[in-house]
Amino acid sequence: MNAIPAELLNILIGLVAVAASVGLIGLVMVWVERKVAGHIQRRPGPYEVGPSGALQPLCDALKLVGKQLFMPLGADPILFWLAPVLAFLPVLLLFLPLPVGDGLQALDVNLGVLLILAFSGLAVLSVLLAGWASNNKYGLLGAARGVAQAVAYEIPLLLSVLAVSFVAGSLDLAQVVKGQGTWPWNWNIMTQPLAFLIYIVSALGETNRAPFDLPEAESELTAGFHTEYSGMGFGLFFLAEYANMVVVCSVATALFLGGWHGPVLPGPVWFVLKVSALMLLMVFVRWTYPRVRFDQLLVINWKWLLPLAVANLLLTAFFVKLAQFA
Amino acid sequence: MENIAKIVFGFYTLIILGGSLVAVGAKSLVRAMVGLIATLMGVAGMYMLLNAQFMALMQILIYVGAVCVLIFFAIMLTRADAGGEEADSAPLRQNLLALTAVLSVGGILGWLVLTRPLATTGTPVEVSIENLGLGLLGPYGLAFELISVVLLVSMAGAVLLAWERRNGK
Repeated sequence: MNAIPAELLNILIGLVAVAASVGLIGLVMVWVERKVAGHIQRRPGPYEVGPSGALQPLCDALKLVGKQLFMPLGADPILFWLAPVLAFLPVLLLFLPLPVGDGLQALDVNLGVLLILAFSGLAVLSVLLAGWASNNKYGLLGAARGVAQAVAYEIPLLLSVLAVSFVAGSLDLAQVVKGQGTWPWNWNIMTQPLAFLIYIVSALGETNRAPFDLPEAESELTAGFHTEYSGMGFGLFFLAEYANMVVVCSVATALFLGGWHGPVLPGPVWFVLKVSALMLLMVFVRWTYPRVRFDQLLVINWKWLLPLAVANLLLTAFFVKLAQFA
Repeated sequence: MENIAKIVFGFYTLIILGGSLVAVGAKSLVRAMVGLIATLMGVAGMYMLLNAQFMALMQILIYVGAVCVLIFFAIMLTRADAGGEEADSAPLRQNLLALTAVLSVGGILGWLVLTRPLATTGTPVEVSIENLGLGLLGPYGLAFELISVVLLVSMAGAVLLAWERRNGK
């Protein structure tokens, strides 16, 4: 009887931890989002169930689980149910290469960033399938918007990540974090401020968060691509959105904000603090800015983000090469 | 370990074959595309088995994440539903011709692989990205540049087509 290899055990524990934390993060984030939205709109938000309404998301989740699953007439049954599963499954994989602390990483691969970028592309696919398979005009419109947006915003995102990995000389998230120091002025954000800005904006676009939430724009498309989903079909999309936010913020933390580095407190605490701060920023952005028009969305990307990202990458490459000769 | 590799190989082969059968045979275009995606994921798995992680991830990033999404976009623009013209099964002659085409190309490639095997190592060796990049810009520079020319030509063609359509309006 051979012992189970340590790597396999690592992944197994990681998967269990991820599966547990995704649900918890979803519950907490729903509460935070509704509370922040409430206070920004000068109302209290949920406050009846539990202290300050903290148990409200739990009740909502139970309600979602208990609801009947409907499928519209004329929908493609296989694709219709494949879509929410496809939205949620890659998320479990996306969490594995995240370096939460020094050595605290479920899957230590030297192409961690690439793994996350590759599998987060499957989220677009689920938006498309959901919109197409529902046999609904709103759904289809939402899906069509989703494609144009995702294809566009993926490019500056990739370019800004590349700029950082040029400086760090690695695509391994843990390696990139190790190259940064304890204090904020030792972080990559100091050398790559433009890349950070581009990353955050295109990450908002990639995760379909407001002001770039055109695929599900409630006021125009009822709910866009997930109009026809009830119960946990909708719940899975919802969970996947928050999980993707966490992944995007974690990657930003590792690449730009020094990851687990920080004074006094232990590493994982710093990591969680930084990720939470970025998540809060995304929530604030959502409730501060109005939704952009579709032409504005594309102009921002193709006329601003993309040229800036390319220029930033070229300059970075130039200086990296210069530093090698010096 | 070797047995696990064989089982995994069989698994990926099943995914590739099953996916490509769906891609060719499905009545609905979108289902055909999902089959294509399954095939591409299977190929990515094969790359993983060859210890070419970079290739596998690039396969997913580019083919599944970008190319398939663009194909989907094209399907959406055509508004092709399952009852369209392409849903009817093709005539026998066409099927036979397709089969001959597949068998001839597959036969030649298979014959080449079986009779003239390349010298390989027993277990796959991982090539680092540095070596991959050096190889592409060094010994394989010409091939690399030629590919970029092909891409440039197709891009110019696409721009030209769009331009003419716009002027003709």
